[in-house]
Amino acid sequence: MAEAEQTRLTPPNDFTAFLGNPSAVEHLRTAVAHGRLPHALILAGPAGAGKYTLALMLAMAVECERQPRDLWSNGQSLAGFCGVCRNCTRIATAFYLDEEVDKAVAAREDLRETDKKETRVLIQPHPDVLIIPPDPPQLLIKLGQVRSIIQSAHYLPAEGPRKVFIITASSFMKEAANSLLKILEEPPETVHIIILSENPGELLPTIRSRCATVRLGALPVEEIEMLLRDRRPDVPPKQRTLIARLAQGAAGRALGFDLASYTAARADAMLLLRQATTEPDHTALFKMTETYRAGAEGQQKTAALLRTLTLLLEDVLLIQSGTPELVRNTDLRAELEHIAQTVSFQWIEQASRSLDQVWSGMRRNLLRSLSLDAFAGALATQR
Amino acid sequence: MRPRIKLSRPVGEIGNNRSFVKAIRCTVWPEAKPNDSTAGHQDNASATGENTVTTATQDSEMTANAAPTGNLEITVSRAELLRELTAAQSVVERKTTIPILSNFLFEATQDESGDRLTITATDLDQSLKTSCAARVKKPGACTVPARKLYDYIKLLPEGDISIKLMDNHWVQIRAGRSNTKMVGMARANFPQVPEFPASGAVKLPVASLKNLISKTIFAISNEESRYTLNGALLVLKAESMAMVATDGHRLAHIEKINEQLEGVQGEKKTLIPRKALGELSGLLSNTDAETIEFADDDQTLFFRVGGRVLTSRKLTGQFPNYEAVLPRDNNKFVIVRSEDLMGSIQRVAQFADERSGAIKMKLEQNEVKLSSSSTDAGESEDSIETPYNYEPLVVGFNSQYLLDFLKAIGNTGEVRLEFKDAQSAGQMRPEDGNEDVKYRYILMPMRI
Repeated sequence: MAEAEQTRLTPPNDFTAFLGNPSAVEHLRTAVAHGRLPHALILAGPAGAGKYTLALMLAMAVECERQPRDLWSNGQSLAGFCGVCRNCTRIATAFYLDEEVDKAVAAREDLRETDKKETRVLIQPHPDVLIIPPDPPQLLIKLGQVRSIIQSAHYLPAEGPRKVFIITASSFMKEAANSLLKILEEPPETVHIIILSENPGELLPTIRSRCATVRLGALPVEEIEMLLRDRRPDVPPKQRTLIARLAQGAAGRALGFDLASYTAARADAMLLLRQATTEPDHTALFKMTETYRAGAEGQQKTAALLRTLTLLLEDVLLIQSGTPELVRNTDLRAELEHIAQTVSFQWIEQASRSLDQVWSGMRRNLLRSLSLDAFAGALATQR
Repeated sequence: MRPRIKLSRPVGEIGNNRSFVKAIRCTVWPEAKPNDSTAGHQDNASATGENTVTTATQDSEMTANAAPTGNLEITVSRAELLRELTAAQSVVERKTTIPILSNFLFEATQDESGDRLTITATDLDQSLKTSCAARVKKPGACTVPARKLYDYIKLLPEGDISIKLMDNHWVQIRAGRSNTKMVGMARANFPQVPEFPASGAVKLPVASLKNLISKTIFAISNEESRYTLNGALLVLKAESMAMVATDGHRLAHIEKINEQLEGVQGEKKTLIPRKALGELSGLLSNTDAETIEFADDDQTLFFRVGGRVLTSRKLTGQFPNYEAVLPRDNNKFVIVRSEDLMGSIQRVAQFADERSGAIKMKLEQNEVKLSSSSTDAGESEDSIETPYNYEPLVVGFNSQYLLDFLKAIGNTGEVRLEFKDAQSAGQMRPEDGNEDVKYRYILMPMRI
């Protein structure tokens, strides 16, 4: 999750604090100002693009007691939020999503054994704003969570004019997705449902067809570099370009980028690649995969490794197809070029497929070190 | 592409979704003003009969809102505390990961009319505020984990309990030789609970209301997709009160006439959510008061039962136009003893299809035959002798729905079954000669 990587940012107190995608944001603000924000909305964009931040801002704009308006040069009025009224401040408390999720999970741990199983993680910063994060440990949106949306949606809002539901991921359990359909089809007038998605293709087509989609696109590399210069003076200029490229156009991700842990994950990923393409060194491989253990920490570490691996494969592909200027891991250019010469397009395709299999294996809770070994083995034999 | 489900209307559906009655509109919720509930309330409250408790509650609410902070320190009798906690705890959501909602709010106040402890519980949709006498050493407020506290107080022996708020939201509870500390949360996190409106309250008689609820609550829909049916409609007129509930397959309607209701002009229709109705009926059966106060604003319903105030958010949407489905020309009827009918249905239903529970009702010359058959269980028939002189008729019903009605009337006396034909709704009424209460239960037939 992008929010996890972010260093401590303060909750926004204005829409201008939102980075990038001005047209999408303006579009949504005009919609709020005219009271025609879609009842069901998908905010799509890469991790760290600001989906959650924007969703909270929208919730504040809808619920704000003062309802400030900015007048645009073309006569359009744009909805804003004051950030200081009781509604805004309460909604802003959910800004640090991970902390809130941790609190909710801790609250669940304190329940009686019998209640624990049926209790789902929900975050309610404000009586009319309900945030639905994927339920740990499987990290999927579950039926119980959708049921609470449905039940709560049919009550009138308590303190604000509308009820806002923010679903922070698009990975649904099958039953949950199906039961969401009904409320998306005929949402009560007072309800807004916002689904955040890194990959809207993951959602049921029937959900997508019932929602308006707003896409948060990637920011140009130069823009992110400028942003980094302004907001992260601690980052040396040399690294700036690298981070800007690695952030894949997501401003939040760039600002919270932890280069050290990325390079660590990348070193492991490169080891896997080298293993497959050049000289096999099983001792080094097993030593490395052994560090990917069970538990939440191992889960994060594995996810980071797999993500970097995807990026590396993409880079190799970019070099092969003659667009080396788009390569993200610029500092490893020479080595990547070398790999690009030794592998075929089919190999890359195969590798990316096996990578997907590792992902799905992770979800099924396979032993991490073994899946990685198997993956490395598959890469080597395919060539 | 927007795949739409066609709304077909099978036999066995009540209600026309298109023609809704106008009932609820939504506007911005005015921020609850703490001191709204002052003088007007006390007048109303003292008229209810439970003067001391009610009046004092009002006072304490006022003061509590004026000074809700401070490190509370009180002593309260276990019996009184337990009584109020029992009333409040049913509102607390058991399975929630929103920590503050599993807490009670305790507010201790001091004034001329005596020291009070006010207890509030809420799940955001419902809230309950109640109070009891206490010796207040220091007024203040705190929140306490609801379940743990309730379970603990239940285990304490009779006697006095002292409760004290310490630093960092720790709450100390001492009783006799027992000493316990629990950690609550900041009082400021506790959601705001709407205050009973200062004017516009209607007094409703407890006995009649209790009867209305028990005769309709079982017919409320459980289906979450049909949310306008997830409550019962209370219809108040100057001289009558009525309640309707339906799940689309059956409808229970009860009207109590010759009931003078002050302050009602024209017709006032209110949809009460099922959960609130359940809470309300619990409160009604635990009160000695003869009347309760009922009021509403744009978003919220309020019920004041004795010293306790129950609130519930209103539901969105409108209750269907039920009047259109009340049968008018059911001209064939038969009267049977409730006990006989119940017994027969229970026996026959053993052999009905498990999913539908459908049984056949055959009306013949001076006889009612009930029968069922299923491929796995076998078949069964029961007959009841009773006068019937119309054309023979065969009609299918869900046995559970029939039983629900018989249970609601207490399985005593006689019931009157009225029919038109095999495709039309049947109607059941108790044949008890009570002119003031008109109870009717409409059932959609099943095709068998």
